[in-house]
Amino acid sequence: MDSHHIQSMVDRSEEGHRTCFSTTTCFTDECLHHAANRTHSICMVSDFFYPNMGGVESHIYQLSQCLIERGHKVIIVTHAYGDRKGIRYLTNGLKVYYLPLKVMYNQSTATTLLHSFPLLRYIFVRERVTIVHSHSSFSAMAHDALFHAKTLRLHTVFTDHSLFGFADVSSVLTNKLLTVSLCDTTHIICVSYTSKENTVLRAALDPKIVSVIPNAVDPTDFTPDPHRAKENKITIVVVSRLVYRKGIDLLGGIIPEMCQKYPDLHFIIGGEGPKRIIIEEVRERYQLHDRVQLKGALEHQEVRDVLVQGDIFLNMSLTEAFCMAIVEAASCGLQVVSTRVGGIPEVLPEDYIILCEPSVKSLCGGLEKAIKNMKSGKLPSPDAIHRAVRPFYTWRDVAERSEKVYDWVSLQTVLPMNKRLDRLITHCGVVTGCIFAFFVVVSYIFLMFLRWTTPDSVIDIAVNATGPGGAWSRQYPPKKRLKN
Amino acid sequence: MEDRTFSDIEGGKIIVQERLFSKTCKEFNIICPKMSVRSVVTATFTAWVAAYAMYAYTENNMVLSATTVSTIIGLLFYLHFVKIDQESLLLIGSLGIQMTLTYTSGKESTEFIEMHKIKDVVINEAIFMQKAIYYLCILLEDPSEPKRISSIVPLFQSAKPNLNCLVQVYNSCQEILSERKSFNLVD
Repeated sequence: MDSHHIQSMVDRSEEGHRTCFSTTTCFTDECLHHAANRTHSICMVSDFFYPNMGGVESHIYQLSQCLIERGHKVIIVTHAYGDRKGIRYLTNGLKVYYLPLKVMYNQSTATTLLHSFPLLRYIFVRERVTIVHSHSSFSAMAHDALFHAKTLRLHTVFTDHSLFGFADVSSVLTNKLLTVSLCDTTHIICVSYTSKENTVLRAALDPKIVSVIPNAVDPTDFTPDPHRAKENKITIVVVSRLVYRKGIDLLGGIIPEMCQKYPDLHFIIGGEGPKRIIIEEVRERYQLHDRVQLKGALEHQEVRDVLVQGDIFLNMSLTEAFCMAIVEAASCGLQVVSTRVGGIPEVLPEDYIILCEPSVKSLCGGLEKAIKNMKSGKLPSPDAIHRAVRPFYTWRDVAERSEKVYDWVSLQTVLPMNKRLDRLITHCGVVTGCIFAFFVVVSYIFLMFLRWTTPDSVIDIAVNATGPGGAWSRQYPPKKRLKN
Repeated sequence: MEDRTFSDIEGGKIIVQERLFSKTCKEFNIICPKMSVRSVVTATFTAWVAAYAMYAYTENNMVLSATTVSTIIGLLFYLHFVKIDQESLLLIGSLGIQMTLTYTSGKESTEFIEMHKIKDVVINEAIFMQKAIYYLCILLEDPSEPKRISSIVPLFQSAKPNLNCLVQVYNSCQEILSERKSFNLVD
């Protein structure tokens, strides 16, 4: 069943590619074979990177490491985090530029479309970047970099990590911005089919240039605890930020109902956020202090230790592009109960997940089913679940699939100036299109000025740390690490 | 002694003189381009156009005399404290490293670092203005904890040579430093 499921997923994606790219005659085997032995010089740009913690950050880091392992040159550009500024090297010679740009809101930099141009151009030239890969639609720097890369006529790839609505003012504005930013981007990657649908609708894109590459988890981090003693209580674990989007209000209804029904039921809740107060209120009102544990904010390495204390993992997200948490929980050998929203139904095969509607009643039903399964003793052991889930989502696979996208992208031609202006005006509406077309022209003139003051030939070529002939990989040949 | 021409990070020409005194003693002189007549003329011209505009508006000739005085003082200040003509680096394997800055006015400022304080000489990368550049720097050892670096002394701050030039100087520095290390080991 498991392998069948994966196979079907792979088939689906391949089929997608085939139908997608048959018209553009690329992404076929011959084409890819032609580009197969090429290495790329990739620049990942996002406002979000370590020391900030989160899904996007670990995605960029893991993907870069796997691409380095496959012989590509990768650098990362982000903004300065406090004391951490300038140029740093991480494991395996992964070079990170922490640029001194002003942070405006929520760790995202301000965008003027022009101010970061000189520095980014200097970096793209000195590192001989061929593909600019931006991450996250919340990051202004990622959009800026896409804009500049197009002015410099580099290939561009964008990964969208989140789902958006269509109704409220902020999403209307972000959607407009996304339309402008993505209309002339060479290729777009989404983390699930639902996310692809969402992005295509929001940014009015041609679905042919959107690929789906899911996230991955590091399975060595999430292993079941073999020494866990058998207890005669049932523990439900919830690990998420305690915010509205994660459905914490539902949890407030689930806790009293389930606790009343099952006297041996316990809850462990990890995470922090504005909705913590709801859980605390419920705990107070029903006197459940001994049965509902609030762990507060968890460090990444603590998550596994909390997960293995439970039997059932509960996820109540109201919207989710691709839920990493349920894969992590399943990898720890827990039964997963989750809402059927966004990309979640795509993530795990039905044997490992119980899907419910996002309502208290349906979720309680799901939990009861999970408890019944557990009491019947028919469940596979945590180790068996771990072994089954382990090969589903690996970073190596993500890197391999991203590489295919890069190969395809590098064969495309970047739109020249006049076509880019045309595209902007025809795709983004007359007013917005004209405003941004004006910015494109201004940035082009700015580029002429920059090339006049510091010509490309004056800029020192940076010493390659990674990629072919990289100083780092030469000195320390990449060890075959056993990740899986 | 030999002269070689390199370029700096802005594409301007700089001359590097390498003087070898003995196996463990070497001097590098980096000669920056002289101040051009054109830039002096441009600067004074701008100042005077501004001054005459002010004079036409206020009709007070104090403006003109103030401009004269400030131009002269500004120029002297620039030549004496800002414009550097030559940066030299004297490496003596058994003693230390001496850095000398020569200003256009002839003023010299010298700094000397003893060998036992020096941990290493390396090429580092930094973000400078709107550029990401390479520079050569001396790492100083923390006297209390020999494993740690207490501070960094950047070299050739005004000339800002490009990577080719830095690699040249770096290799010579490393030769001398490695001599020192083998000497210490014998000791």
